[in-house]
Amino acid sequence: MKESISKPIQRVDGPAKISGEARYIGDMHFENRLYAKTLRSTRAKARILSVKKPPLPRNYFIVGKDDVPGVNRMRTVVSDHPIFAEDTVEYIGQPILLVVGPEREKIYDIITKIKVEYEDLPALFTLEDAEKNSEVFTDYHYEKGEPQRAFGEAATIVEDEFRTGYQEHVYLEPQGMTAEFRDDTMFVYGSMQCPFYAEGALTEALGWPAERIRVIQTVTGGAFGGKEEFPSLTACQVAVAALKTGRPVTMIYDRDEDIICSTKRHPSIVRYKAALNRNQDIVALEIDVLLDAGAYNGLSPVVLQRSMFSATGVYNFPHLKVRGRNFMTNNVPSGAYRGFGAPQTIFGTEMMLHNIALKLGIDPLEYKMRHALKRGDPTCTGGKIRDIVKLPEIVKRVTQMSGYHDKRKNGQKYHGIGISLFLHGCGFTGNGEQTIGSKIILKKEGEKVILKVSSTEMGQGAETVLRKIVAYTVDIPFENVIYESVDTGKVPDSGPTVASRTTMIVGGLLQQAGLELKDRWHEADKIEVTRTYRHPDYIDWNNDTFQGDAYPTYSWGANVAEVEIDPVTYEIDVKKISAVYDVGLPIDETALRGQMQGGIVQGIGWATIEVMKTDEGRLIQKNLTDYKVPTSMDVPEVECDFINNPYEFGPFGAKCAGELPFVGSPPAVAAAVSNALGVPIRSIPITPEMLMEMDSDEN
Amino acid sequence: MVKGFRPETLKEALKLRAQYDCLPIAGGTDLMVQKARGFALKPDFRKPLLFIGHLPELQRLEVINRQIHIGAGVILTDLLNSETIPDIFKEILALMASPPSRNLASIGGNICNASPAGDTLPYLYAMDAQVVLQSTDGERIIPIAGFITGPKQTDLKNSELLTKIIIPQTEFDINMYRKIGQRKGMSLTKAAFLGMANVADGKIQDIRIAFGSVAQTVVRSGKIEQSIVGKSTKDIVKNISEISRQYAALIRPIDDARSSAAYRKKVSLRLLEEFFVSNLAKVSNLRKAQSKGDIE
Amino acid sequence: MKIEFTLNNEFKSINVDPAQRLLDLLREDFGLTSVKEGCGEGECGACIVLMDGRAVNSCLIPAGNIIGKSIVTLEGFRKTARYKMIEKCFLDAGSVQCGFCTPGFVMATESLLNENPHPTDEEIKAGLSGNLCRCTGYNMIIDGVKLAAKRGNGLW
Repeated sequence: MKESISKPIQRVDGPAKISGEARYIGDMHFENRLYAKTLRSTRAKARILSVKKPPLPRNYFIVGKDDVPGVNRMRTVVSDHPIFAEDTVEYIGQPILLVVGPEREKIYDIITKIKVEYEDLPALFTLEDAEKNSEVFTDYHYEKGEPQRAFGEAATIVEDEFRTGYQEHVYLEPQGMTAEFRDDTMFVYGSMQCPFYAEGALTEALGWPAERIRVIQTVTGGAFGGKEEFPSLTACQVAVAALKTGRPVTMIYDRDEDIICSTKRHPSIVRYKAALNRNQDIVALEIDVLLDAGAYNGLSPVVLQRSMFSATGVYNFPHLKVRGRNFMTNNVPSGAYRGFGAPQTIFGTEMMLHNIALKLGIDPLEYKMRHALKRGDPTCTGGKIRDIVKLPEIVKRVTQMSGYHDKRKNGQKYHGIGISLFLHGCGFTGNGEQTIGSKIILKKEGEKVILKVSSTEMGQGAETVLRKIVAYTVDIPFENVIYESVDTGKVPDSGPTVASRTTMIVGGLLQQAGLELKDRWHEADKIEVTRTYRHPDYIDWNNDTFQGDAYPTYSWGANVAEVEIDPVTYEIDVKKISAVYDVGLPIDETALRGQMQGGIVQGIGWATIEVMKTDEGRLIQKNLTDYKVPTSMDVPEVECDFINNPYEFGPFGAKCAGELPFVGSPPAVAAAVSNALGVPIRSIPITPEMLMEMDSDEN
Repeated sequence: MVKGFRPETLKEALKLRAQYDCLPIAGGTDLMVQKARGFALKPDFRKPLLFIGHLPELQRLEVINRQIHIGAGVILTDLLNSETIPDIFKEILALMASPPSRNLASIGGNICNASPAGDTLPYLYAMDAQVVLQSTDGERIIPIAGFITGPKQTDLKNSELLTKIIIPQTEFDINMYRKIGQRKGMSLTKAAFLGMANVADGKIQDIRIAFGSVAQTVVRSGKIEQSIVGKSTKDIVKNISEISRQYAALIRPIDDARSSAAYRKKVSLRLLEEFFVSNLAKVSNLRKAQSKGDIE
Repeated sequence: MKIEFTLNNEFKSINVDPAQRLLDLLREDFGLTSVKEGCGEGECGACIVLMDGRAVNSCLIPAGNIIGKSIVTLEGFRKTARYKMIEKCFLDAGSVQCGFCTPGFVMATESLLNENPHPTDEEIKAGLSGNLCRCTGYNMIIDGVKLAAKRGNGLW
């Protein structure tokens, strides 16, 4: 009997990364290459009247909208973002053109000499303004039960409102891309999550068939959603430049540029209206989700969907009315970020329940568990919770680990403890998986098996985990499984590396193919097995009415946070996070623990120190000196445990994991702060500035 | 290409300084960030650079006549590792930037950068530190408070170099330093408070109070300090709101990317009260008990 | 300006702009790409190298400041027994994810253990506080350093 697949192995990309030999896009050499830098809008909304260009030295080029041979739009869910600005600019930092040439210093000089004449236009800067002006990109609704009747019969009605701020990904490697036109083919190399997204965008920008485009992922230094759709834009820009100049073109952002123009987590307002019966249980809920999509809608509609479908958290509210809107503002576009809209509503729902419980004088955990989902319950969209729900076990374990009940009983002011319960829908939202129809290939060559997928390694451990699944399934040594480099010319489209779908969906296909390969192992020396994703028959989803199963299954978790607040300065010290998760079954405990530790800390950052605001469309925190992410001195002790609950259709029982930890830590920290000071928390980041004001108001 | 001068001696450096309109640079941790232009680009220096961080004359750290003389080129790590530097100053230094930056940054640079958030400044103000400014014409020794004239502004003449910082070798019985950053590790200062005092027989013998990052320069008031000296800690605690009111008039912070003016002001005054009510009152009681114990 | 210095134990003499960042000198002129640019403002630590044995941010160092100094990058350091120990312990502790910050962490670890071979948890956290990592949440890097200090007893 083989050892459990959960037992950690050494991660395959570790040695080259530790020794510094791993080559990221900025480390790669291209013969005869040119560099590119972007001229960006300095106005939030304006008409471009003229662009005055200085005379260009030999071998220097300006590349703009007129050089795009195909459609001047970046393809994504809503293809509204121009590759280069046309008549107007809609946000500060919007790309207008590239200056391309052999020397960076000279490019910089040329850029500073280009004069853009603008005519300012009226702009919108806040969600409130956008709501007042009805600048809605997307407006979605869904209902469950009979909310109107339930509200009519309510004993009490409680309203609450929550806000969350921007978050910058701060992947350590800034965005970078190189395009090279040779052999009648456009080769694009870069740091990215989704090479086929970039390929799709390039087919439209160039007006070429996919056969003439190769997108090759280079070692990617972190992404977290920030390299999901955004690299499609830079890929199109450098490709157009490479086409125009006939030479390879490299564009690497520095940190400040990256922060100014790249996508961020959507700021949100989430409003609740809860109908309580005489037992003080919530029988009906109205939820209104507002997201600041920024100047272009891009993939915000899907973010909004996940936000809405996650809004009821781990709870079963019999009657529901949920509305979600993406608003247009003249801020930098928001986009994918770990959790993808769910962290905003999970935070709101957890705190809404917490606040009601406090008002009623009931322990928040007890109050939450009264509403908890059980197996067989309907989901918020009228689907079904089909699998075993181990939430009670999770809660039991996490409260024991943390000593939650005793600590809550013996609480003192300025010392707080708080709990969050949460879930994350595994894989794409709604009909995403059907639309993509992922393909994978396993190819036997002698003793070796080549694994061909478009799932990218960006730090999360995908390469190690997927190879492990194949090795265990086919029952061959790990070293004999070869992971084909992700190149759209070599691998099939197994979908983007997003939505915590890689292990469960792509890994699941690999397991199916691996089983077939194992059966046929002795047939021949060379065998190719392919699999294409088929949505399980029992899952029914209507994307027009938002009815049915939004997700095939869910991963679950609970966090307990312990905090201390400095009574003089109100600085928040997160002392400990206890975390328990059900992700089905861990494929590699070390890789999984890495996801959990990292996700928890990113969540704490968003909930506390990561302040990012705009002033009339201009980011106030626009470099790493002003925008602070946690350092080694800021992280708490993190104790993390797993409850096994193998999922029938996941490889070895695995479900989703990457986003789950991010969703859980912010409401736990907020609940702990609330407990420490005896005040409700309604917005994050929670800053000392805010707490000092709140506490003195209380006094 | 920008020109660079790298003299071997201070004398040579002063000559170059007199001869050329140049920019003295030591560790570079402030200037290289301020002049940075982006990925793989040279910093935007317009004047020739005068490298002085390596000059042996600026590396000395010695005690002369109960005064600590610190060469302007001494890096923060070396101050932290020195036995000459008082603990409270080390506490301040240990919270500055990060280890790799402290291995570069010089104390002279922190002073000449004259940032309102400069972390060494509250201590230097509180200690009545003096700076030595040398030129080919000779030297001036002036108090730090006179040297720093405003945010990012100093009285350094075009022909001068800051060569030395002189701090009286005095240590206090009661010390409280608090730096408030946006996070615990590697952070610029939102607000800083330094309080130091000597207390005997329940009375304040000497007191130094300085606030960082809450006005154009460090806030310190000799007048208020003098009004406190000689009073009993009890009286001071009773009178705390009056002292607080006096400092409130001097604390004029701004709103910026890191914090708000309102928070900066409130937290500064709360730290002041904390210093008097908790630290000072407690410690002076403790000392009384101890001295009683000694007698018995 | 003529710059003479030692790079990975070899004497170098070059003529460069004295304001040029050591980071670019190492990456562009010497092809030492283990040194990464993550921020260019001394915040992230991805560009940390050793100067006379101590960790420094190479983005903050003008070329004029390395005259007579010994600069060691990961390309030089990775030949040592100390490196092998750090590598093994980082692998065992799961200290690596995306890897972009990792060379800087390796150099910071060397500098820390060189000064303090048996650091406490708090000393490790302070010693690594000039390095940002967005993937791991740090605890598994701290574990890697602890393991190196323990297993590498005598190496530092």
